[in-house]
Amino acid sequence: MYAPEIKDNLFIAKKIIEKYPREQRYSLAVLQDIQREYSYIPRECLKMISEHLRVPVSKLYSMATFYKALSLVPKGENVITVCDGTACHVRSSMVLIDEIEKCLNIRPGQTTEDGKFSLQTVNCLGSCAIAPVMMVNDKYYGKVTPNTLREILKNYGGVENE
Amino acid sequence: MKVFIDGKPCEAEYGEYILDVAKRNGIHIPTLCHSDALSGIGSCRLCIVEVVEGSRRMVVTSCLYPITREIEVFTSTEKIKKMRKTIIMLLSSRVPQNDYIKRLREEYGVKPTSRFKGDNNEQCILCGLCVKACEAIGTNAIAAVNRGITKKISTPYDEVSEDCIGCGACAQVCPTGAIGMYQEEGKRTIWGRTFELLKCEQCGKYYATREQLKHSIDKLDGKKEMLCDRCKKKAVAASFKTIYEDMNL
Repeated sequence: MYAPEIKDNLFIAKKIIEKYPREQRYSLAVLQDIQREYSYIPRECLKMISEHLRVPVSKLYSMATFYKALSLVPKGENVITVCDGTACHVRSSMVLIDEIEKCLNIRPGQTTEDGKFSLQTVNCLGSCAIAPVMMVNDKYYGKVTPNTLREILKNYGGVENE
Repeated sequence: MKVFIDGKPCEAEYGEYILDVAKRNGIHIPTLCHSDALSGIGSCRLCIVEVVEGSRRMVVTSCLYPITREIEVFTSTEKIKKMRKTIIMLLSSRVPQNDYIKRLREEYGVKPTSRFKGDNNEQCILCGLCVKACEAIGTNAIAAVNRGITKKISTPYDEVSEDCIGCGACAQVCPTGAIGMYQEEGKRTIWGRTFELLKCEQCGKYYATREQLKHSIDKLDGKKEMLCDRCKKKAVAASFKTIYEDMNL
């Protein structure tokens, strides 16, 4: 299983957490910042946040499992987000998901063994006009077909042997 | 402040909840997610009542509705009964094999439905009362985890919790008996952790875990008292016996 080394031995996390005053209401903000930095929420961080904000770990864990934007398992270097909202679904977003599985051998919610890619689905990316839509990290791709999908993945070092 | 509950005039303080006033006056309102020791949650919805305020008529959860003016309350109108039946039907589809919900279903004459497929091993209705109890104790060992159909009550990472003191408050308040707590030969197991039980100094019965006792001693500023509930009650009663003599009346 892929597990990235936690950068700088949590030094960055400490800095992020200590930016915030010790109040419960900053829980989500801190979790989001940690998620942004490590692309997941390491166990150690949950404990550090709990100690800093004086919020029980159980509460933070509850929060981290509630929001889809927060992840407790390490995400890959590149996060592929396929929209599976109504418009995209009608325009066969499922085909894209199947195609990704063929190329990278991952299902939604999983990460490739080399830690390069993670796949997730969302219910709308807000650009239904160019359905089916997909995102790789922060970049949007519209009107994706299985062929263009392979091209996109190639750019990120996905499909090599064709 | 005067309120009428099912036609009965009741005295209520400003801000008191309907459920508390009804209870005090011997009027029964069914509840699941309510414990007298904790504040209302309003998640089981079973305590709904109809409130008439002037010309307005509304359905509210009595455990969360504070009385702020003179109102009339009806606890079992046809509308309420029908709504409660729906709630019980839905609860029973979540926990089809739970005895408490089964009893409720029989009481209200709700037929089991085949519309939803419930898990026969499921006993939890996710009311959140256990979480509230754990919070009130100050341990915060359990919380709601995940959401939607995968929501459940658990400890962080589903692992043995260091915060848990094995007090069993969660199991005690649970309205459906969904939390497994096993006790034998001086050991108590709950949430996957086994605790050693201590004996009451007076009667010698096993009554609390070491962690639980430590927690209460910390809360009581170091006052150490190793008595079970019964012996504690006895001790309090005994102190009342001589209270008037001590006052030299």
